[in-house]
Amino acid sequence: MKKIKSIAAFTLALAMMAGMGACGKTDSDSDSKGGSANNAGGGSVEVDEDGIKTFTAFFAVPGNEVDKGNRVQEAIAKEIGARCEMKWLTGQTADEAVGIMIAGEEYPDFIDGSTGYSKLLDAGALIPLDEYWDDYPNIKNFYSEAEWNSVKVDGHVYIVPQFGNDYMYSTDCVHNDEAFWIQTRVLKWDNYPKIETLDEYFDLIERYLEANPTMEDGTPNIGYEILCDDWRYFCLENAPFFLDGYPNDGCCIVDRDTHKAIDYNTTPTAKRYFQKLNEEYKKGIIDPETFTMNYDTYISKLSTGRVCGMVDQHWDFNDAELAIKSQGLDDNTYVPVGVVIDKGIEEHYHSGSTLDVSNGVGITTSCKDIPGALKFMNDLLDPKILTLRNWGEKDVDYLVGDDGIFYRTDEMRSNANDQTYINANLCPYAYFPNYKGMDHDEINACNPSSQPSEFYESLPEPVKECFDAYGVQTYVQMTNKSGENAPWYPMWSYSNTFTADTDYGLAKVNMDEVKHEYLPKVVIADDFDAAWDEYMSVYNERCDIDCYLNALDTEIQRRIDVAEGNS
Amino acid sequence: MSKNVALAADGNAAALKAENKKSFWKQVKNQKTLILLSIPFVVYVIIFCYVPLVGWIMAFQNYKPAKGLLNSEFVGLDKFKRLFGVAPFPKNDVFLGVIRNTLAMGLINLVLGTVCAIAFAILLSEFRSRGGKKVIQTISYLPHFLSWVIVAGIVFDVLSMENGMLNKLLVGLGIVDKGVNWLAEPKYFWWIVAFTNLWKETGWNSIIYLAAITSINPDLYEAASIDGAGRLSRIWHITLPGLKPTILILLIMNVGNVLNAGFDIQYLLGNGLVQRYSQTIDIYVLKYGISQGDYSIGTAAGIFKSLVSIILIFLANRTAKAMGEEHLF
Repeated sequence: MKKIKSIAAFTLALAMMAGMGACGKTDSDSDSKGGSANNAGGGSVEVDEDGIKTFTAFFAVPGNEVDKGNRVQEAIAKEIGARCEMKWLTGQTADEAVGIMIAGEEYPDFIDGSTGYSKLLDAGALIPLDEYWDDYPNIKNFYSEAEWNSVKVDGHVYIVPQFGNDYMYSTDCVHNDEAFWIQTRVLKWDNYPKIETLDEYFDLIERYLEANPTMEDGTPNIGYEILCDDWRYFCLENAPFFLDGYPNDGCCIVDRDTHKAIDYNTTPTAKRYFQKLNEEYKKGIIDPETFTMNYDTYISKLSTGRVCGMVDQHWDFNDAELAIKSQGLDDNTYVPVGVVIDKGIEEHYHSGSTLDVSNGVGITTSCKDIPGALKFMNDLLDPKILTLRNWGEKDVDYLVGDDGIFYRTDEMRSNANDQTYINANLCPYAYFPNYKGMDHDEINACNPSSQPSEFYESLPEPVKECFDAYGVQTYVQMTNKSGENAPWYPMWSYSNTFTADTDYGLAKVNMDEVKHEYLPKVVIADDFDAAWDEYMSVYNERCDIDCYLNALDTEIQRRIDVAEGNS
Repeated sequence: MSKNVALAADGNAAALKAENKKSFWKQVKNQKTLILLSIPFVVYVIIFCYVPLVGWIMAFQNYKPAKGLLNSEFVGLDKFKRLFGVAPFPKNDVFLGVIRNTLAMGLINLVLGTVCAIAFAILLSEFRSRGGKKVIQTISYLPHFLSWVIVAGIVFDVLSMENGMLNKLLVGLGIVDKGVNWLAEPKYFWWIVAFTNLWKETGWNSIIYLAAITSINPDLYEAASIDGAGRLSRIWHITLPGLKPTILILLIMNVGNVLNAGFDIQYLLGNGLVQRYSQTIDIYVLKYGISQGDYSIGTAAGIFKSLVSIILIFLANRTAKAMGEEHLF
């Protein structure tokens, strides 16, 4: 019996271990590549009794799921005969979520893989849109032919980058990018001083904290937070290139004269920036828990309104700001300041709309009704539907003045700031292709937050006061005018496509790993110089920086050639 | 399921051992009902545990999902070399560190988990009031049913510098004068994981020992007390020896599981500051295999893990056998 018992137990044990190797597919035949084989007879997309199709989508970015039966979603469905259930990233990174889908070979109809896009391409998960799009002019004409060419991979278009298409001209009012953010109450307390340098920024927060250790209700104020959770640790690590006056290329500084990539991690500015953080940490200005908290903790800390400042992308803490507003803590929302390391450097925090060729929504090989899906995407770009998506329903979400200009009542405005209301009533289909700039009526801006009159009116009083003090009307104007983008911008759309099986990709993985561990160490170190030296020696030993920079140099040159028409 | 088969076969154990090869078919005939009954489970194991092993080929390829297993390029042992950072690949000790963490956390869990579960089971079995015993048992099981995400949330709260229970207690008692940032110190990480595991699983793990204690013949206790044995010596001379076979079998099986030191808790509690001590093999596989898109290196790491686990099981079994104790095979 011992034998039988042992075999059984051994098998069990093996079974547990085999799990690891089991994620690969064992059967590699797939007839879905062309897609056409699957959609004969309209396919099997779910169709309800009203004849409305329901597609599925996954966007590998954080977002809010709209409720079932969302009012505007149903209104759009009635118009175009289709709706889409959208899922967003929760509790995973984009790469994990996409990696797992690829391993299982099951995809939703629409997907935006975010940083996982190159993996989707590698896996052959996306259908070439340009083979089908002749019947769908709204999609085909969404970009110019030259722009589509830059989106193409191996001669085909697999995704539609959703953003970066201004109709007529840009009407951005919100700086939806990265900056040093600071609460209006802090600026107000010091009579709206001009903040230009990193030292001035922290000096103000220090003085404010000393004078106001707690909020009105007694909650202790926190001077500065640094989010360091997984891929979001850009809040800690990428400020050095901004401080040097360069735009957000993400993975490097590009020298404006030599067009060579420079590693921003080892510049003198980087050292000064981290030394400053180290000083502030020791002074207790930076939250001691900052490096152990995850994204959820960060958002909940910010939502209390007790955090004076931080570096972040606006889209990353938007949820927290909505929460602050909904508690009526209007004094505690944030405005961006364009901080540099030394006076006289021109900052470049804001960049104009760019066509980001590494992000976009595509249709997957799992989609059973490709023409239907394309029609859906095409219909969403119809002027009438665009207004529904961006403004909502007439007379419910906005009113129309005699001159054709859209405006909202105070109630409509506060509704549009209330997450619960948004989930039940509004449906911008945010990650489907959308125009920015002007609405197609050419009178209004594409959405309320870009409509100058509407935007200013909907601001909380303290923000209006702050803007008035600085003589600006929008968040965007708080930083320098963006100017023309360089032809290579943004380089992150290239580095996002790296995978660990190339040498330069591995170099980046190693850089991230070393920085993830050592940068927090450097900030909390008792002896900054020793910690910095240790970091630098590990960094240089573990990471093949030259290989990494060479790859970037090649891409910069390629992009310049494309822009000049030499390729 | 296999357990049932094993138990059912128990009856003819002695006979079975004495049989020789000739009578193999006779045996099959005798046990045909049992064999028929076990077929579905054997098929299950083959389909879900052995067939997927085909995927191990990936570790020897530069696997690309679009090309599939059949068309990906074979690279021999390159992925393993890269994993360990041996020539011609750049030196890299990340994976070695990962193995150390996995082994360390696995062993701490194994030792602490076993000892505490046994101690807890004995304490419970000595409990006089039936009602009190039931209540304690139920309460101690409960954490087992919480998901790790919730447990991690609780741990965060308890260890928080600002309002954490633990820091408040320590400061209140005057042991430290300022809250300790527990999760930022690499040296604490393994122990935080170990104690979290203990809190969550001790009650659950004690069930099997409790069951084993119940099956010890009560006459033995009676005889011992007549001979003048006190409570402690009854535990030492009767309960523990009675538990020995159970303990050994579970230990051997768990040794094979040492490398499954966990994923959830390390993943949820880890951060950049402690990553060198928090990453386990499973996290490594997720990070490099799934997130970075290098499925081959992920599979290579997985294979390595399986091999080490098998070796550990054989070693443990050998040791038990050599000591003349209960063993698996």
